[in-house]
Order: sequence, then structure tokens, then C-alpha cells
Amino acid sequence: MLRKLRISGMLLIIALVIEALSLCWNTAIAFMSFAVVGGMFFASGILLFLYSLVPSRISPDNN
Amino acid sequence: MIFPSTVLFGLIGASILLILVVVIRPSITASREGKIVAFLALFIVPLVALGVGASEHMERSEKTQFCLSCTIMEPYGRTLYVDDPSYIPAAHFQNHRVPADKACYTCHTDYAMFGTIQAKLNGLHHVYVYWFGTPMSPIHLYHPYNNRECLHCHAGARSFEDSPTHTALMGDLKSNKLSCTTSGCHDTFHPVDKLDQVKFWKPAE
Repeated sequence: MLRKLRISGMLLIIALVIEALSLCWNTAIAFMSFAVVGGMFFASGILLFLYSLVPSRISPDNN
Repeated sequence: MIFPSTVLFGLIGASILLILVVVIRPSITASREGKIVAFLALFIVPLVALGVGASEHMERSEKTQFCLSCTIMEPYGRTLYVDDPSYIPAAHFQNHRVPADKACYTCHTDYAMFGTIQAKLNGLHHVYVYWFGTPMSPIHLYHPYNNRECLHCHAGARSFEDSPTHTALMGDLKSNKLSCTTSGCHDTFHPVDKLDQVKFWKPAE
């Protein structure tokens, strides 16, 4: 779980850096970088975080 | 004065710092407080930063500079500086009848319900075709220009209402039966094929 959190955090940091860089220009390519590349990193980072919340093993006590 | 982009950069910086706390010390998630920090850092704050960033990009996409950033639109940008008031876009741009920094968007958005959303979707389609498809040649509008876009500003204006020609045709103009761009009326737009034949206006520095 901790490894997933680390990877998720790094993906989100990359997405935020892409967002910050894309805001330095007002061009169509900056927008596309934000929407496509940044969006993919955002989506994968957040989805990985949510996935890390899912318990990998169900405790025998729960059965 | 604090600009919205400054706030956004601050938000992005704060998000990165918060995420770094979790990345460097993921073991903090063992405690309840740590779990809350991780949830904020890896879910809530990035979503807020993404939303605010998307909103800022949407706002910026209305700028003339944005529209003209694609090479294919460059000649259209030059036509805004044609030194001939008979050209409608040039006359509107040079006399600030439309905001100069949002010249393209002001005339080419739909002033109808969901018109802004439609304009943004069209813009996304333009960008997609520009990068991944084959742009139409020559460029032309998807639909005939609707009088609604002209009347959004001109309806009720004295110079428009006092014109005998407009008065006589007002019903047809308002119902879009007769286009403002009908041949012989306001039918001169972006002379991209005559750029080497026209004079250009140079704004004062």
C-alpha cells in the first residue's frame, strides 16, 4: 500500500508540474499538454490512490 | 493586487508540498490523522488544483492570442489589421467594437443557451483536427453565420436602429431569414487570399 501511495504521489506531482508549465503559455499546445498529458497523469495518480485504499486481503475475522 | 494565476500557482505549489510529505513519509498513513492528510494530499487538493487549472485554461482559450497560436489561423489574425473599414472583422477589432483581446471568441461564439459550451467544444474539435487530422482548406464556418451573433450587440444600438435599410428589413434580420452577411450588405470578412494586396494598419506603440 505504501508503495502505491508513493507512486500515486509522484504521478500527481508530475501532473501538477505539467499543469504549472502549461499555464506559462497561452497556446493551443499548452492547453493540449494540460488536457491530455497532465490529465492522464492526474487520472492515473488519483485512480492508483483510490485503488490503494482497497484492502488486498480480507481478514479472516470478517468472514 | 493578486492575480488569479498567482493564486493558482500557489495552490499548485502547496499541493506539491503536501504530496511530498506523503511520498517521503508514507508511514504517516498508519495513524488516522495521517490517513486524512493522505486523502487531502492525494485526492482532494489535486482535484481542486485540476479544476481551477481547467477553469483558467478555459478562460485563456477565449483570448485572441490563443486562437492565433495555430499556424493555420495566423493569416486570419493578420486580417484584423487590414487598413480598410469595409472589412467587418478589421473594423470591429481596430475600433474596439469587440474586446481586442477576445476578438475571435466574441464574434464566433453562439449567443444562445449553452453557446459558450458549444464554442468550447468546437474549439476542442479545431485543436484535435489541427493536431491529429486534416484541417479543411480553405477554412470555413460549420454553419452559416447567424444574425443573432451580430444582433447581440447591434440590436437596440442607435446607429443600427436608425438606418432606414435596417428598419425596412428588421423583421427578416431578427428572424434570421435575411443574413446580415448577404451579398451587397456586410459581406467582406477575412481577406486571407488578398493579404499581399491590402494595406495594413499599424497601431501606435
